[in-house]
Amino acid sequence: MGARQSQGTTLFTALLVLIGIGVVVQLWLLSATVDALLRHEAGTPLHAALGSGALFLVNGALVLYVFNFDKKIKQR
Amino acid sequence: MTDDNCRECKEKKAARWREDFPVNWDSDNYITRREMVKYLALGSLTIAGANFLLAGVPRLLKASQMPKMKIGLTSSVAAGGSALFRYPTQDDPCILVRRPDGALVAYSSVCTHLSCAVIHDQKQDTLYCPCHNGYFTVAEGRPYAGPPTRPLPRILLEQQGDEIYAVGVEV
Repeated sequence: MGARQSQGTTLFTALLVLIGIGVVVQLWLLSATVDALLRHEAGTPLHAALGSGALFLVNGALVLYVFNFDKKIKQR
Repeated sequence: MTDDNCRECKEKKAARWREDFPVNWDSDNYITRREMVKYLALGSLTIAGANFLLAGVPRLLKASQMPKMKIGLTSSVAAGGSALFRYPTQDDPCILVRRPDGALVAYSSVCTHLSCAVIHDQKQDTLYCPCHNGYFTVAEGRPYAGPPTRPLPRILLEQQGDEIYAVGVEV
């Protein structure tokens, strides 16, 4: 395994962990939304949904970055 | 030697079994990191979608129209006094309070703790639940003492001359 490939593997693993953390935070926001709905709170679900949407965008951007990075490496 | 032979026999049997059912469990259960990232991204999209759907629920509930119902006359409730009524159905007890300054406020009289009846304490100008000593402010229906943590649902009122109408519920 070359040094470049090793770096790529480390980067990939780090991004995988970051996306995983993002998904866990999204799950927490979803549970907070359900909790707020059951407490008849109107404000929290909207803010949680916006936060969840932002996290999805971050996750999506990270996934795209990973696959673009992969393409570049394969082209070399 | 006998043991080895037996082991070989077993391997041969296993190999024959594998030929008949060529399922490679190891590769079937193997998920690459790239697949994992894809699944996580899909999960992220699903959770975000579910969150937006749930955020829309209170707006859908608000959009459902509440009936307009006459609940009494302004002159029948003295300043600092209260009256009971039911809104929007006969199973929903509510309390109308006329504040000392003449302003009218109304709330569901079902305590948000354990559904006991909330009463108006004229001396302390507060809404009081005698079951577990829960207190709510008359101005906003907000809990300020005792076990309740959620405010009382507010009944939206409309005045037409001397008549008071309930027109909606604000949760």
